[in-house]
Amino acid sequence: MLKTLIDAFALISTWEVIIAMFAASVYGLVIGSLPGLSATMATALLVPVTFYLSPIAAIATIVAASSMAIFSGDIPGALLRIPGTPASAAYADEAYAMTRKGQAELALGAGVWFSAVGGIAGVLSLMILAPPLAEIALSFSTFEYFWLALLGLMCATLVARSSPVKAIAGMFLGLLVSCIGIENPGGIPRFTFGITDLFGGIEPIPALVGVFAVAQVMRAMLTPEPPPLPRRKFGSIMAGQWKLTRKYHWQMTRGNIVGIIIGVLPGAGADMAAWVSYAMSKRFSKEKEKFGTGHVEGLVEAGASNNASIASGWVPSLLFGIPGDTIAAIAIGVLYMKGLNPGPTLFTEKASSMYAIYLMFIIANILMIPLGIAMIRVAAYILLAPRSTVMPIIMLCCAVGSFAIGNNMFGVVTVAAFGVIGYVMEANGYPVAAMVLGIVMGTMVEQAFVTSLIKSDGSILPFFERPVAAILAAMAIGALLWPVMVWVWRKVKPAQTAMATTR
Amino acid sequence: MRLPDSVTGSFLVVLGAAAAYGGYILPPVPGQPVGPNVFPLVIGTGLALCGLAIVFGIGHSFEEEEELIPMEDGQAAAPPPQGRFYGLRALLPPALLLFYVFAADRLGFIITAAIMVYVTSTALGAKWKLALPLAALSPFAIHLIFGKLLRVPLPAGLLPTPW
Repeated sequence: MLKTLIDAFALISTWEVIIAMFAASVYGLVIGSLPGLSATMATALLVPVTFYLSPIAAIATIVAASSMAIFSGDIPGALLRIPGTPASAAYADEAYAMTRKGQAELALGAGVWFSAVGGIAGVLSLMILAPPLAEIALSFSTFEYFWLALLGLMCATLVARSSPVKAIAGMFLGLLVSCIGIENPGGIPRFTFGITDLFGGIEPIPALVGVFAVAQVMRAMLTPEPPPLPRRKFGSIMAGQWKLTRKYHWQMTRGNIVGIIIGVLPGAGADMAAWVSYAMSKRFSKEKEKFGTGHVEGLVEAGASNNASIASGWVPSLLFGIPGDTIAAIAIGVLYMKGLNPGPTLFTEKASSMYAIYLMFIIANILMIPLGIAMIRVAAYILLAPRSTVMPIIMLCCAVGSFAIGNNMFGVVTVAAFGVIGYVMEANGYPVAAMVLGIVMGTMVEQAFVTSLIKSDGSILPFFERPVAAILAAMAIGALLWPVMVWVWRKVKPAQTAMATTR
Repeated sequence: MRLPDSVTGSFLVVLGAAAAYGGYILPPVPGQPVGPNVFPLVIGTGLALCGLAIVFGIGHSFEEEEELIPMEDGQAAAPPPQGRFYGLRALLPPALLLFYVFAADRLGFIITAAIMVYVTSTALGAKWKLALPLAALSPFAIHLIFGKLLRVPLPAGLLPTPW
């Protein structure tokens, strides 16, 4: 244990890792603070860069950039009422109301401080939850993996803030995309239409870049430019944060726990955590009437929650290769690329790398406090950059980055195509995150499904025979039937009340 | 680009059915009951069923109440549509990416990238005083990072970089 910890320290205390982490932090802070550029997009655009780094440095950039971007989305949320990332959308109104009351420092300080605390709570959950789960996961067969993957996909559809039917359709679309190529049980070209470039299948990373970055540039073409940030002088940013921590320690803990749970659930990420925690904070608050008028309580809870979910989203990713959210989906791609294939054995065979990941998360969250404060102070200047200078650069990065993944132009075509698909889906209420999850998990789901079918010799019974498989199956089927039950219940209830009134 | 649910749903039905059929006609692995055909069959069927449900408006009730929350925040109201072809501007980014695919090898990275940057920047409302220097400088910066530091083989084309 102590030896692995020392090994882990040795792994991260190289100049490459330190510089990569610092640069990625600054990058994450800047991208996160620009409205319309989300944390997922920041991470996706980083992937081509990680190719050329050592495994630990590559993961360091992902960890640092994603954590920073989630916090930094609070800055334009508080100052302009435009959330920088979707994860800050839940409480942007509240933070802006505080700014108007002259409490911008308190709102932004709470953003930094409780983000850092939440991030560290998330790492602790990763450290505590992952090893024992890995023990259990070692005895999993393909049946368990099949149900687990299905449960993951179903969770993604349940938590999407749109029609569950559309979310399931999005998931199926993603799975269908993953069918393309020759990487299937028969090793024959499937849905390639004779195009050689499609034989290798659709890479998840260009698809992600397209859906999250190109689609965003497309939306920017049709939306008006956000107003520039008024320049202002800030007082002390951290003043009063300790008092808030003591006053709202229960809200903070609850936010952390909710964030961790939502992060672990596959497909549900930081934005969901923030919405749930903010709603929860309002529901259980003693001063409900103050919400919406610039009250810090909801900020504390939701800020603590969205950053906690970032680290805990790595739990299912590292253990099963099932992403906890879209950022973790990118991380999985990087892990595979770097020879750290997700799975329970990772925790025994590459224990020092795992400890290195924990340490990097902790360092990133500590680093967030000074860098975050600096970022708040210079935010007014960064946000002066008009969209017409930022978006063209994003476009170039999309083109070059997707080319760099395989050094062929087909990656760029993929990015363009998925930009259009992502844009159309989003515009029509189909959640893109569900599709992304389908693309990332498709091969694994199919493998587990077909191998299980071969083992069971076509019978359906073995899918439920093992106890863990039976439990996971019950949960997955429950998740599938949940929207149906709600729908039926809603149909029945008005009928009942109608009957009661006529009587 | 907001289409009625019946259109997107019907599209999914067709796509799902095509996928299921495409899976069905795949050759099986000899001596093996389940092969590469099973998964597309299952997915295609599922997709078609979802499409049907969307056409009939099942699950629509979830959408209405949820969409109220994100819509209310300060994101300025939809811009007034300017002319009939205003909506087509959204297709500019993917079109430029395809332009990159076809032109980069011949024109080289620097020139292609400069054109992309200039067009995107102008489309987003930048004056030429801003767009021109941006288009002149940013390709070199990107080339420095990706081409020089990360050794991505970017095409040189007509205008090779000084390094």
